[in-house]
Amino acid sequence: MSGLRDPPEDYLEGFPPVEDKDLLVPKQKYLSAGVHVGTKIRTKSMSRFIYRVRSDGLCMIDIKKTDERLRVAGKFLSRIEPKKIVAVSSRIYGFRPVRRFADYVGAVAITGRVLPGIFTNPRAPVYYEPEVVLLSDPKVDKQAHDESVKMGIPVVALVDADNELDFIDLAIPANNKGRRSLAFIFWLLTRQVLRERGDLPPDGELEEDYEAFATRIMGIR
Amino acid sequence: MSQDLEQPRLSPPRELFCTSCGRRVTYERGIVKFLCPNCGEQLIVRCRICRKHAHEYTCPNCGFTGP
Ligand SMILES: [Zn+2]
Ligand SMILES: [Zn+2]
Repeated sequence: MSGLRDPPEDYLEGFPPVEDKDLLVPKQKYLSAGVHVGTKIRTKSMSRFIYRVRSDGLCMIDIKKTDERLRVAGKFLSRIEPKKIVAVSSRIYGFRPVRRFADYVGAVAITGRVLPGIFTNPRAPVYYEPEVVLLSDPKVDKQAHDESVKMGIPVVALVDADNELDFIDLAIPANNKGRRSLAFIFWLLTRQVLRERGDLPPDGELEEDYEAFATRIMGIR
Repeated sequence: MSQDLEQPRLSPPRELFCTSCGRRVTYERGIVKFLCPNCGEQLIVRCRICRKHAHEYTCPNCGFTGP
């Protein structure tokens, strides 16, 4: 609804018209975490998730689609046995988000370099047989992605404007590079999985704010 | 109750058809099957080609379209 209290127009530049009540969180929260701020590079397959290109060339991700996919991913993951979910981040800013997600949900977190054979070789030092693999960025998490494909494991992935959608089975469009954005997405996905499982009431909140999911810049572990 | 709702509806001897293109798929590398992420009731099958090219799939049960 328009009125004097609306923020200046450029504030919402690149943000589709949507009411807070239709989102999992008020849009201000998405905005301040920069979830909608995609890369300048845009792949053809990601066009479906881009709302517009901002004057500075950055692709604005359609937050309505991010929100919708988080709901679907929440349902999907809630039906999987927790320890059969493997969440991966090879990018430092994804380490803590993925670990917090795994702690809450009971999933397995793989952070840092993925050793070959992780899903394909039962004799490898680290070996899992996931039912679903959740990637923070298919580009960076390539080893885990390739092995998932080899083994026929469904792949859920956070995808930015510069990602391809090949061999992704459920895409969650979002800024998958920013420290705050990664924290926010994994926090929201965690909440959604727990709500879908009934571990939280439908409007229940996690005890921690999303800041608790954010990788600290000093002392990464 | 009905076991159909608990488990993927297709067991190995049955043939699998790609949800996107309808082609019969064999157990080759690159295919995938999973219960619809949205409704959890319908088996979604994606052949290697549709998966590689990110062709959309639509759940016949709930209408959800992915990937
Ligand atoms: Zn196909
Ligand atoms: Zn469905």
